[in-house]
Amino acid sequence: MTSIPEALLWCLSAGTAAAVVLAAFSVRASGQRKALRARLAAAEEQNSATLHSNTELSARLRATEAEIRHLAGTRLPDLTMALAHPHVPVHGLLDARFAGSETDEALGAVLEQVSEAITKERTRVDAAAQSALRGATTTIQALLYRLQTALQEMQHRYDDPEIAQALLNADFLNEQALRRVQATGVVCGAWPGLTREDSYLAELVVGAMSRLRGYERVQISNQLRDPIAVVARAVEPIAITVTELLANALHHSHRELPVTITLQQGNRGASVIIDDYGVGMHDDEIKAAMELLAGDGDLLLTQLGDPPRSGFAAAGQLVRQYGFGVHVEPSPYGGVRAVVYIPGDPLLTVLDESAQPMSVMAPLPHRSGMTERSSSALPTGAAPSSAASSAGQPTPAPAAPAAPAAPAAPAVHASYDAPAAEGELPRRRRRKPVSEAEQAPRTEPIPPRSPEETGSRWAALQRGTETGRAAAQSEPPRSPEGNAQS
Amino acid sequence: MTPRQSSGRRLVPAYLATGGRARPSRNTLDRLTLLHSVGMPITSEVRPEEHRILELLQPGALSLAEVAAHLHLPVSVVKVLVADLVDAGRLHARVPIPEAEQFDRQILERVLDGLRSLKS
Repeated sequence: MTSIPEALLWCLSAGTAAAVVLAAFSVRASGQRKALRARLAAAEEQNSATLHSNTELSARLRATEAEIRHLAGTRLPDLTMALAHPHVPVHGLLDARFAGSETDEALGAVLEQVSEAITKERTRVDAAAQSALRGATTTIQALLYRLQTALQEMQHRYDDPEIAQALLNADFLNEQALRRVQATGVVCGAWPGLTREDSYLAELVVGAMSRLRGYERVQISNQLRDPIAVVARAVEPIAITVTELLANALHHSHRELPVTITLQQGNRGASVIIDDYGVGMHDDEIKAAMELLAGDGDLLLTQLGDPPRSGFAAAGQLVRQYGFGVHVEPSPYGGVRAVVYIPGDPLLTVLDESAQPMSVMAPLPHRSGMTERSSSALPTGAAPSSAASSAGQPTPAPAAPAAPAAPAAPAVHASYDAPAAEGELPRRRRRKPVSEAEQAPRTEPIPPRSPEETGSRWAALQRGTETGRAAAQSEPPRSPEGNAQS
Repeated sequence: MTPRQSSGRRLVPAYLATGGRARPSRNTLDRLTLLHSVGMPITSEVRPEEHRILELLQPGALSLAEVAAHLHLPVSVVKVLVADLVDAGRLHARVPIPEAEQFDRQILERVLDGLRSLKS
């Protein structure tokens, strides 16, 4: 049995121990609570941060979605448009904050891929269209050439005015069709379709002019000093180019206005200068034309409008392939001036006019024509007036005035006498042209005899002999008969 | 009549010479019509093809067909050119010298009949 104090002691000690333990516990619990509170605060903070970043992210997501929608709805259509029409701007990012980000790069890559794909596909489709057209035009062109030959033969065969008129009309229509087909073919990468011989530049320009409606409005002024010709391979290309430039000039000026062509010989080549007095071209039109005429870069039919305007494009292709030059500028007369420059070194040559006579329709050179006329054909009184008229004609470029006349005169006379001299295939010519020296003293008194005159003289002789046989000797009455005939 | 002596295709079509006209202003011309120049001075308003015709006829007369051959142009076109030149008074066109007169067959037959009837 224990005593009460002992029991009390036990109780107290137990109580103390419990208090100590409890104190220890409470201390620990408060520490834990503090930690927990701190953790709670941290967690709350974190939570709020997460929430914040979450809203930020979702905003960003929305912005990205908007960006993608913008790409699909605006930027891609812009891009396709811009590929067809280079002046159309492509919209940038909707939100400038994306600039340089991965999203920007990704979207940029999409645009790039699409543009590449579109370009490739467009080139492929265009090439297919071009080759289809090329095939068609080549065949049609060959057929039209055959038609041309047939028409030409018929023109020589039938004299009847009505038939001849129909044939000439058909020939002209055929020429116009040929020009269209040929230019389209050239734009599509076909070759000009015809190789000619070396041809005179003047003849070439007249030929080019004849392919167009309204050719009667074209006035040609030939300032060439020598019988300049274009080498065979470049004849048709240059003819096509001149035709297309002339077609523009004729099309864009009033029906009653002239279009003037000047053939000018330079030191290192020759130029065909085409001036119109029409509506002219804007600066950007001129710029576009010059780009086409430069002939670099691939040509797409879709760039040329609907229907395709093939003129400058065809010229540009030929310029690139054959090495002559074309320049278009606003003309001082308000219209357009187009200049075809043909470099002398590879593309020009000089032909012998006696061996290969120039077409009769080719414009006569101004100055040498005048010298020829005044020296050989004209009565002396008319020479000064014609010389004065030639001096009065406008010369666009100031060439040396005295130099051209000197080399021209011998060339003309050589060509005048030569056909009689080459003797293999004689062509009938009644009389050889009398040279100046012989002609000069007796221009007025004795004109060259015509066949009728000769005939009448023989008749007179015969009659004379008959009367002479009948009666006494009598002179045939020569002079009155001759005068009556002339 | 070859259109052109060179082998190549023509560069300048014939219709250009007359501006597409093939109906001459006078219908008296034919292939054998003799042309000779009046000798009028050739002024600058004469077109190149007319100039060539006048130049060709400078030394003497030629028939229209010959002129056409020299110019390498169809006769129908040359007729128009020549008609214009004649109208302008630069050319004389003369009817071809007629072929030698053929005897009239009817007259000969009647003469023969007459002779026979005389004989019988």
